[in-house]
Amino acid sequence: MAIGVKVVSRPIDEVSYVRATLGGMKRTLRHVFEEKVTTQYPEEKESISKRWRGTHRMHTTEDGKAKCVGCGLCPSVCPANCIKLVTGEDEQGNRYPLVFEIDEFRCIFCGYCQEVCPEEAIHLGRHYENAEYSREGFVYDLERLMAQTHPVCEMWDPADPKGE
Amino acid sequence: MADVKMVNLTIEGRGVSVPDGTSILEAAKLAGVLVPHYCYHPGLPVAGVCRMCLVEVEKAPKLAPSCATAVVEGQVVHVHSPKALEARKGVLEMLLINHPLDCPICDQAGECELQDYTYQEGRAEGRYRDPKRFNPVEDFGGDVMYVANRCILCTRCVRFMDDIAHDPVLAVVERGDRALIGKFEGEDLTHAWAGNVIDLCPVGALLSKDSLNKARAWELDRAASVCPNCSQGCNMIVETRDNQVMRLRPRPNADVNEFFMCDHGRLNYRWMNRADRVDTPMVRQNGVLARADWEVALRAAAALLGGKRAFVLASPNLSNEALFLLGKLVAKTGGAGAFRVNQGQEAPLPGVKDLALRADRAANVRGAELAGFTRSDAPLSGMMAGDVLIVADEELDGVDATDAARAGAVIVVGTTLPGWARHGANVVLPIANCVEEDGTFTNLRGRVQRFFQAKAAPGLARPSFFAIGDLLASVGDGAGYWTASQTFDALAAAHTEFAGMSYDTLALKGAPTAGAMTEASA
Repeated sequence: MAIGVKVVSRPIDEVSYVRATLGGMKRTLRHVFEEKVTTQYPEEKESISKRWRGTHRMHTTEDGKAKCVGCGLCPSVCPANCIKLVTGEDEQGNRYPLVFEIDEFRCIFCGYCQEVCPEEAIHLGRHYENAEYSREGFVYDLERLMAQTHPVCEMWDPADPKGE
Repeated sequence: MADVKMVNLTIEGRGVSVPDGTSILEAAKLAGVLVPHYCYHPGLPVAGVCRMCLVEVEKAPKLAPSCATAVVEGQVVHVHSPKALEARKGVLEMLLINHPLDCPICDQAGECELQDYTYQEGRAEGRYRDPKRFNPVEDFGGDVMYVANRCILCTRCVRFMDDIAHDPVLAVVERGDRALIGKFEGEDLTHAWAGNVIDLCPVGALLSKDSLNKARAWELDRAASVCPNCSQGCNMIVETRDNQVMRLRPRPNADVNEFFMCDHGRLNYRWMNRADRVDTPMVRQNGVLARADWEVALRAAAALLGGKRAFVLASPNLSNEALFLLGKLVAKTGGAGAFRVNQGQEAPLPGVKDLALRADRAANVRGAELAGFTRSDAPLSGMMAGDVLIVADEELDGVDATDAARAGAVIVVGTTLPGWARHGANVVLPIANCVEEDGTFTNLRGRVQRFFQAKAAPGLARPSFFAIGDLLASVGDGAGYWTASQTFDALAAAHTEFAGMSYDTLALKGAPTAGAMTEASA
């Protein structure tokens, strides 16, 4: 018993794959001669926004000490509670941070610490290469924060402070 | 007492009725309106120098300083009217002309009245462009440091030293915008109560050298407490951070210490943070004091006590609750109890009635007497050979060790493990100290006052009433001392002096015992 198979005949010039293949190859070949868009990371690096908020950096005074005066505003304002600050008194009787640690895992990079800092000491960095071999390495102590050299975040454009 | 004439007036649309002679500022407090002020302090004479408390009084020709203006019948006062706000804004701007904006490094930040009021009512930006006046930081002696730049010349400190401490060593020196607080040549703020000027100072001009740069005001946890450093029982606030007591501050109580606290009490807090505390129960096994569970230690203690007389050497720094339970233990075993009191120099504060740093340097001397303990300089003299000696939070400094050796066995219920106990104690039960538990003290005038837990006790240490309650239960004298409040209720039921009292009726200010009134008048 023959089953009723309906055979539709289509013109070969309409259904052949050869035309589509050639069309695809044409597009591919065109890209070979166009300008390349791939960035050759890590040899090449993309430029990042001036307002990029990356891992922190502590600014220092001329004599190499941290600018931080231990006022305690950044641990208070930090929504992720990632800043540990223990203050002490130096030989001149000034308050300074005995312990200043930022847990970069907990940090949500909101930038509040930079914004609240009255001494312009703690900054977020324009920096994204943060790989470490250990988890402990992501808790940055004061020494590490002061040793960072990367440029820091500009929270707003000085030419347009209100962002208009 | 003669009838006091009451005056009715309206403050910010709220009617209040206050005794004649009350200042507008105090009347406003009753109406629930805080008039900003610097120089006014309820514990000091009125000066009216800061001009911060200016308010608008209807039908008055000009703004009135509310601290120095008495209420009048039918007066209508506007505290937050545009005219009053404008005047206070001007005052704040003037105060900030020479005030450094160094809040990040100032210890007062967070509890500074200049910060608070500027935030509430001040200008967003100053208009003064010239350099600010500069004066060096000065050491005032005692615990006090003076940062002249921050001073707003409210003269609270001067008035305290003149009128309350009766030791006038401070004065306003220089004139005009060069004025600052000065101390007389060769004098120091060494008065026993001079530390109060630190609390009185509304800004960061007078700072405690002891707590300088240690903690920010907003980081501290606070608990109401009673000063354990002498028998006066000044009300205080314990301020802790990370389970460490950072500083002690007075808590107002008109019946005891008004607003003040002596330097001895204020600075003597380091023992509350001692690191060498005993934190696990211990039992002597094969001649060695070894760590044990609470159950094991309590069973061992009960076995020692079985059928023997207990002689309790108590510390007068234990709470009424703990002393009551120790007293029950004494009664149960037919023993005796004694305590001794460290002595110091008495130092009164002349401006406040019946307030002094007392010679008895322990909080609960009266409570220990009421609990049936005998005060003695040779506390172990009443002990009979073969007694079980219970040493409750006493280090036995200066007590002849041979006295203790007469005891059949020694049970230490204490916060620390003194040297002699390492070879002399049979059982050690660790307890919390007075900032780590709830309880009450009875001061020398018989006032029973509550203190609240401010920090956690180390390790397995238990509140003193709980540990002693367990010990009492293990020798078969009831149970149910699970909370400080339950224990106090049991004390109130058992002792006529405490009859009718409970933690709710004592609240934050305390109440005198039944016999207290007659003693004070006698």
